Amino acid sequence: MKFDWNTLAFLIFPYLSFAVFTVGHAWRYLTDPFHWNAKSSEILEKDSLKYASPLFHYGIVLTFIGHFGGLLIPQTIYDAVGIDADEHTRIAIVLGMVFGVMSLSGVILLLWRRRAKDRVAAASTANDTVTLALLLFVILVGTYNVFFGHYHLLDTLAPWIRSIVSFSPNPELMAEVPFAYQLHILAAFLLFAFSPFSRLIHIWSLPIQYLPRSYLLFRRRNYKF
Amino acid sequence: MKIKAQIAMVMNLDKCIGCHTCSIPCKNVWTNREGAEYIWYNNVETKPGVGYPKKWENQSEWNGGWRIKFGRLSLRAGGKSNKMLNIFHNPDLPEIDDYYEPWTYNYGDLASSPRKRNQPALRPKSLLTGKNLQIKWGPNWEDDLAGVNVTGLEDVNFRSVKEHNAYLQFKKVFMFYLPRICEHCLNPSCVASCPSGALYKRDEDGIVLVDQEQCRGWRYCVSGCPYKKVYFNWRSGRSEKCIFCYPRIEAGLPTLCAETCVGRIRYIGVLLYDADRIFRAASTINEKLLYEAQTSLFLDPNDPDIAARAIENGIPESYLDAARRSPVYKLIVKWKLALPPHPEFRTLPMVWYIPPLSPLVDQADRSGELIDISDNMRIPLKYLANVLAAGEEAPVRLALRRLMALRRYMRSVRVELQPDASFLEEVGLDEATAKEMYALLAVAKYDERNVIPTVRRETVEDLHRRQGECGYPPASLG
Repeated sequence: MKFDWNTLAFLIFPYLSFAVFTVGHAWRYLTDPFHWNAKSSEILEKDSLKYASPLFHYGIVLTFIGHFGGLLIPQTIYDAVGIDADEHTRIAIVLGMVFGVMSLSGVILLLWRRRAKDRVAAASTANDTVTLALLLFVILVGTYNVFFGHYHLLDTLAPWIRSIVSFSPNPELMAEVPFAYQLHILAAFLLFAFSPFSRLIHIWSLPIQYLPRSYLLFRRRNYKF
Repeated sequence: MKIKAQIAMVMNLDKCIGCHTCSIPCKNVWTNREGAEYIWYNNVETKPGVGYPKKWENQSEWNGGWRIKFGRLSLRAGGKSNKMLNIFHNPDLPEIDDYYEPWTYNYGDLASSPRKRNQPALRPKSLLTGKNLQIKWGPNWEDDLAGVNVTGLEDVNFRSVKEHNAYLQFKKVFMFYLPRICEHCLNPSCVASCPSGALYKRDEDGIVLVDQEQCRGWRYCVSGCPYKKVYFNWRSGRSEKCIFCYPRIEAGLPTLCAETCVGRIRYIGVLLYDADRIFRAASTINEKLLYEAQTSLFLDPNDPDIAARAIENGIPESYLDAARRSPVYKLIVKWKLALPPHPEFRTLPMVWYIPPLSPLVDQADRSGELIDISDNMRIPLKYLANVLAAGEEAPVRLALRRLMALRRYMRSVRVELQPDASFLEEVGLDEATAKEMYALLAVAKYDERNVIPTVRRETVEDLHRRQGECGYPPASLG
């Protein structure tokens, strides 16, 4: 394995990003429990958040599910259930267009709201703006790819992602992938690495434990040190 | 039966002079921080009026508290899955303008202004944006009925009061003060609404708190509380609420609002209740019976069976002793003078109010027959019933008649010098009870108004090892 830019970008950088992502979250959770939250600004401004936030969040959640289903599940499994590669790509492009536009319009509205609404702007930090800008960039390039890229990625990009997450990396698969797709991937890994230091940590707090819980909670003082 | 103890409060609205002295130490100690400028754990409202935040009592607007749906008790704003789907935008969350935009002044401008023909003036600056601000609303905007001819029209407590508008005209106008803190409910909808499980009721004294390290800022407690007494700190991104001054309560001291109350209207004490029957009481179908259902949860600490069960359930002897001397138990259970605010919200609130007397409009009706005194007061009985008894007039009538009877009796004792117990018998009281009531309502001293057991730490903690610590749990790493 020789060192080149391709190895740096699609082997070293992704694992570096994962490492920062994992250690960063653990460090943040243990050292900064007081700032682990969704940082909602709804109390300051509701009118535009009402549209922007659900649009963005539902768009991004569906996009995530799409990426997971399309890239991490091998084509052989889709073949087995009767969805061939062309069919798969067609579905991916159509859904990608819908979810991409949802996320993109949502994130643009959120960024506009954060700058344009006085109260939200005053309560914002640079970190909030950087987070939104990074998200905007990743989503913008991704949406560009579904609309204008139309690159058949099931034999290159998808196996490469699987090679990364299964710890048998094969960066050569990325060598021929168009630049816009490479840019989307690099920006996404940058976002992953940044996320533990941003408000994005709230993703991990999705309160599913609420569903089985009883409504009333009592706490007894029984801590011993 | 599962017996639990609750530290409860009663406020005597008959004695509240609306001075806001309760609000000030509370503000100075607990919410004098960035992000909390607009938050008043304790505030004093003038009724009639829409209050703080605007129209908080109107649940068709805010969807707070519980209701009976398909015969079952459920959160008015929707169940758990509904909350999960709306988590990105809570449709019932108030905006800061519903409270008010907090402001300050550049006081330094007064000192640094160059010499001018006129005195320099200060302009209000928003504490959110720092910009100049046109003040449109504040935490006590309706003080002493200011603007009630406009806002009073939206006061839901006028529901089924005849000739509502007339009470907003000068000739028939009435008012009383309503100091408000968190109700520390037995069936708190804020706790039930919190997806993260950050809100909880303390087992030993029933104080409802927000765990600041577990709160993730989903905001459902704010909208779920029908009294709008959970607030969202826009800087920390977390909810916070009245903590019933628990560090003081643990030391056996009253809350700051009670400590400083000029009119000495506040009483704090222990109530024992049956936690197994909370759900059934809150599920009472007819909302007019909720007051009775809640009262039936309270247990008599002088009953030896109850006392034995309480000890079995882990209630310390000191709490039991405080429960036996509890001023709150007398006002709520024995004498039925205090009533819960808006029992129809079904949260079983635990800060109760003695309804205010008001001047008599007319001693007798035209036919010369003496009519019920409580129908003849300046504050319409129906209005008080809407605030304190879900529209049911009987309990408010009883409380008002007892207060009036006590005054008449005490007048016969101290002015006419011929004690006349006939006034008392009409309302089911005797002379001994009346003397006790008089003592508690009129002349009770600090430790008679506040009967608070200190917390029992030695049973749950190794105090020897905690010598010299400041009392907080250790911060988790770093």
